[in-house]
Amino acid sequence: MARFSLQKFWWTVGVRYLFLFPALLLYALFMLYPFVNSIYLSMTKWDGAFPVKEFIGLSNYSRLLQDKLLWLSLSHNLIWVVIGTVVPIFIGLFLAVLLWSQPKGMIVFRTAYFMPVVLANVIVGIIWHWIYNPIVGILNRGLEAIGLESWTRGWLGDVNLALYAVLVAAIWAYVGFVFVILLAGLQNVDLELLDAAKIDGANAWQQFWNVTIPQLAHVLTMVIALGLIGGFSVFDIVFVMTGGGPANSTELIATYTYQKAFAENEVGYGTALSLVMTVVSLVATLIFIRIRERDA
Amino acid sequence: MSISAAREPAASKPRVVRQIDWTQRLRRWGWQVAKYAILIFFLWVFVQPFIWIWSSALKSTQEIAADPFALPKEWHWENLANAWTLGRFDRYIGNTIIYSVIVVLGVCAIACLAGYALATPHFPGQNLIFLLFLLGLMVPFQSIMIPMYYLVRDLKILGTRWAMIIPSIALGLPFGIFLMRAFFRGLPLELADAARIDGCTEWGVFGRVMLPLAMPGLTTLAVFQFMGTWNSFAIPLILVQREELRPVALGIMFYFGRYTSDRAMIAAGVTLAVLPIILMYLLMNRQFVRGITAGAVRG
Repeated sequence: MARFSLQKFWWTVGVRYLFLFPALLLYALFMLYPFVNSIYLSMTKWDGAFPVKEFIGLSNYSRLLQDKLLWLSLSHNLIWVVIGTVVPIFIGLFLAVLLWSQPKGMIVFRTAYFMPVVLANVIVGIIWHWIYNPIVGILNRGLEAIGLESWTRGWLGDVNLALYAVLVAAIWAYVGFVFVILLAGLQNVDLELLDAAKIDGANAWQQFWNVTIPQLAHVLTMVIALGLIGGFSVFDIVFVMTGGGPANSTELIATYTYQKAFAENEVGYGTALSLVMTVVSLVATLIFIRIRERDA
Repeated sequence: MSISAAREPAASKPRVVRQIDWTQRLRRWGWQVAKYAILIFFLWVFVQPFIWIWSSALKSTQEIAADPFALPKEWHWENLANAWTLGRFDRYIGNTIIYSVIVVLGVCAIACLAGYALATPHFPGQNLIFLLFLLGLMVPFQSIMIPMYYLVRDLKILGTRWAMIIPSIALGLPFGIFLMRAFFRGLPLELADAARIDGCTEWGVFGRVMLPLAMPGLTTLAVFQFMGTWNSFAIPLILVQREELRPVALGIMFYFGRYTSDRAMIAAGVTLAVLPIILMYLLMNRQFVRGITAGAVRG
């Protein structure tokens, strides 16, 4: 009897642990361990090569507070999160509403709008780096062609413009993603509710704002949460297009972390920076989800 | 649709029947024209850079400088051949295929097993393990890239393909497990019980009954992971140290630095890097869209 139940236990529970084992092993070794280790590393002073890591407690963190470049980077991330989330939602929603009724050619439009999404951000960066090139770039050449020569400039070399220029490239590659998600969300909107609102005399704007948008709330939450997580960890496109320059005007927390840890070999301090990024994006996401749940 | 359709009846109520038809028809027609004008404008915005890069890839550098918008006068196919061999795109694309295939297979196999285990009826530790994986879903690679580098270095696999493959699989697991668990939970558990009563082993229940049912979910995961690995940049930037092991996303960055002034070569390189993924996207449009948006859309 005892043996039978042991056997049963093995077959119902043991097998499941066996199924989980490879995942747990890899996850523990390559994600949990680095994560925990980064907390330790952030309390050391280490150049990445010397055999001994000097433990310095919280010194790196007090240095963080006075690091102007960190606060500058974070402010850039904040701009990125806000613009990089709001603008794609507006454009994506606009396009999704236009294609809501599935007009002729819908598949062509949808396929085209989504096309930049499949590209690696590096390639988006290279394409737009060229578009912005002051001499051979098509933006300046196009402006010249339509008589707006006074508008031409070195877009990525301008301290006041570079961040927004990179953002435009990122938005170009991201709008299609938001658009497809919102289009899918619109397909689930209850048309009977819309008809009811119409009969009750709601105008087009009221129908859209009071009936359609609330039904998209869940989808919009997802998109905003993804924007928050993505916006605090942007790296590829900025790294390729400007590398954080000119004069740190496009420096983001991820490029700054990379710079410190891998170019300047300040591993301990770089790790402290990466933890700031983790905490900021985690907190932002959690607060956002909490607010949404309270509203719903 | 709804915006125009909603306004018309209210605005045209008191008029004579014929006139209503006219204004309505005009309005509807005008609305259609405006709508398609906007849709086509955005089509141009999203597609034009591709056309411009592809046509530049077939021009000479002088031609590109003379008029960036003109179509090529002569077709310089040799640009593509040069990028393929001199630019080492043959190697980079080959590497990318190897990485993508192995990582996709690894993530699918491991996440499928774990997702299934987490979807079965409760057992001790199940919720804790699931929460642990959920945490991983919220941690971006950039947060753990520094210790990851030293871990891979200490394991003495830096400089081999495993430096890219193993961390990529580990990083893909949280989402893969999350997706597969959700998918298995949507399947009827009675089927598994029925198979058990018929004498199936646990392994048989999983392999013969549940796995075939999970194929749609697995396809979605495969496409999602394929895109992630094919386009991944930060992971190889830090972990792939040898030039001949670079995937295409990393290779093209160095290539871009090497040929900065040779516009025709850059355009050819970008074209080679872009074409495989664009062709796959156009051929498997539906799977791609579903796979890439899998994180945001349910079901």
